[in-house]
Amino acid sequence: MKHLSCRLLLCLAFSIVSLFMVRQGFATLGQTADSVESDRRALSAVRGGTTAQNGYTVQEVTYDGAALREYISASGIVFAVAWNGMRHPDLTALLGSYTDQYQKALAQTSRQPGLRRLSVKADGVVVEKWGHVRNLQGRAYAPDLIPPGVAIDEIR
Amino acid sequence: MKSGRLLFLCVVLALVTGCGGGGGGGSSSSSAPTGSSTPALTLPNGPTLPPVVGNNVLTVTVDGSECSPATLAQWPNKPCVSVTICDPANTYCQTVNDILLDTGDYGLRIFQQTLPAGLLTALSQNQVQVGSLPVYECIEYGDGSAVWGPVQRANVVLTASEQALNVPIHLIGSSAGNPSQVCAGNPTFSSPAAALYNGSLGLGFFVQDCGPVCASSNNNRVYYTCSGTSCTGAAVPLASQVQNPVAHLPVDKNGICLMFPSVPSGGTPLVSGYLVLGIGTQSNNGPSGVVAYGADQNGNFTTVFNNITYPAFLDSGSNGFFFPDSQVQTCDGGWFCPPSTLTLSATTTASAGSPSAVVQFQIANFNTLINSSNNVFSNIGASQPGLFDWGLPFFLGRNVYIGLEGTASGLGAGPYWAY
Repeated sequence: MKHLSCRLLLCLAFSIVSLFMVRQGFATLGQTADSVESDRRALSAVRGGTTAQNGYTVQEVTYDGAALREYISASGIVFAVAWNGMRHPDLTALLGSYTDQYQKALAQTSRQPGLRRLSVKADGVVVEKWGHVRNLQGRAYAPDLIPPGVAIDEIR
Repeated sequence: MKSGRLLFLCVVLALVTGCGGGGGGGSSSSSAPTGSSTPALTLPNGPTLPPVVGNNVLTVTVDGSECSPATLAQWPNKPCVSVTICDPANTYCQTVNDILLDTGDYGLRIFQQTLPAGLLTALSQNQVQVGSLPVYECIEYGDGSAVWGPVQRANVVLTASEQALNVPIHLIGSSAGNPSQVCAGNPTFSSPAAALYNGSLGLGFFVQDCGPVCASSNNNRVYYTCSGTSCTGAAVPLASQVQNPVAHLPVDKNGICLMFPSVPSGGTPLVSGYLVLGIGTQSNNGPSGVVAYGADQNGNFTTVFNNITYPAFLDSGSNGFFFPDSQVQTCDGGWFCPPSTLTLSATTTASAGSPSAVVQFQIANFNTLINSSNNVFSNIGASQPGLFDWGLPFFLGRNVYIGLEGTASGLGAGPYWAY
């Protein structure tokens, strides 16, 4: 019985974390992949795939018609995140400690009507959004963390 | 001869004669455009369109009389139409101009500030509900901007005989519900003055603006039900989602054709074109000389550029060619500013793998063009990763057909673009 209630509790905890993560995004740029792995386990209802690339891995999580891909270096750091879906994800959760500098750079980026893409470059982070209704896409990456030999256009 | 038939003949002639006919000044003997020695491309439509008449025809102006003059300086290549909105009982009606014609979206979104109080009240009595709660929607765009508001039923009057009756539309600019919590775009437009348009008419090839994902999942982050300021994600049946009004027209409901003249290399202050409803359903909308390219469930086909294959789409609401290219010089805002005009080519392919077509296009210096007195340009673009966006410049000089999903025409089964 104790075992069962433990599992129930764990399950409940995972559900709450899962709900939070789905709403808030799930990986944090610049942090280790340890948290990513636990996030992935927490998101057990979500199918995830991992692809090994040249010197890094891409881990994909899909949910509700959207997909998030995190790019993890050989040393285990999330150096980029890319997404597609009906909405852009909540960047506050994705950018972590980079949020402040992103917000500052964003505030200095003026909208150009008709130019349906966003490109925000701060010192330590680049955020780009593009796409159309029913298929929005984007990516965020920390240039200093990109492993040598990896082209930025591989992040998409 | 009726002018509709005359136009049909003209179009056929222009298409039969292919690249030699119609001409946008592409021969080597044409005068060099200001600031460039690169001749303009020759396109299917010349600088003047033959008139298109019929009860299924709307005028589209790019930075012309259908657009608000106040936005021209800030918005090159803005295609506008006028639409009349009535409540389902036709008690109140209002015609609104400066509606962005947007093939990268689906359905009518109109700022509530443009409608009179009586109509707003009547629309609110036709609020779409799920589980007895009002449905609200957050639509986000590629640039991260967003619009928010309730989904309500209305009659969308495109012309006197082309009316989509009792269809869900998106009444935007609303502060009801909790947009700052669930629809935080950068920015979320609260008024026409902020958005620089009165509304948008999404006439892409899908019937709903979200589709199956929003019908099956509460966590779609597009549709919400709100009780006061408490909003939670909601699955909304397909028929209750915001609808492409073309899909609900009496007859001409299998798609549209956008017809625009070509423009000179240096641009032009404004152009006028046509939105023709239906494909092969009337004497004035029989397609000829075009090929259909099918799209996938995400609304993309493919484009090969610089030997790389990208998902791609046609979008009248994008005001340039937006595509990945790190070689071309850029200037303010990321626009391409090459020292001399570039002629580029890419291969567009249906999502099924065939057919394909090579498309030539040009990229000129954005700064030079935008500092002229012109607003409409066939050769502006900017760099973006991931997707090849054939924006409004692609539509200039062409007849582009857009076939709706779940329908067919002589061109094939939708969803497709044909050009």
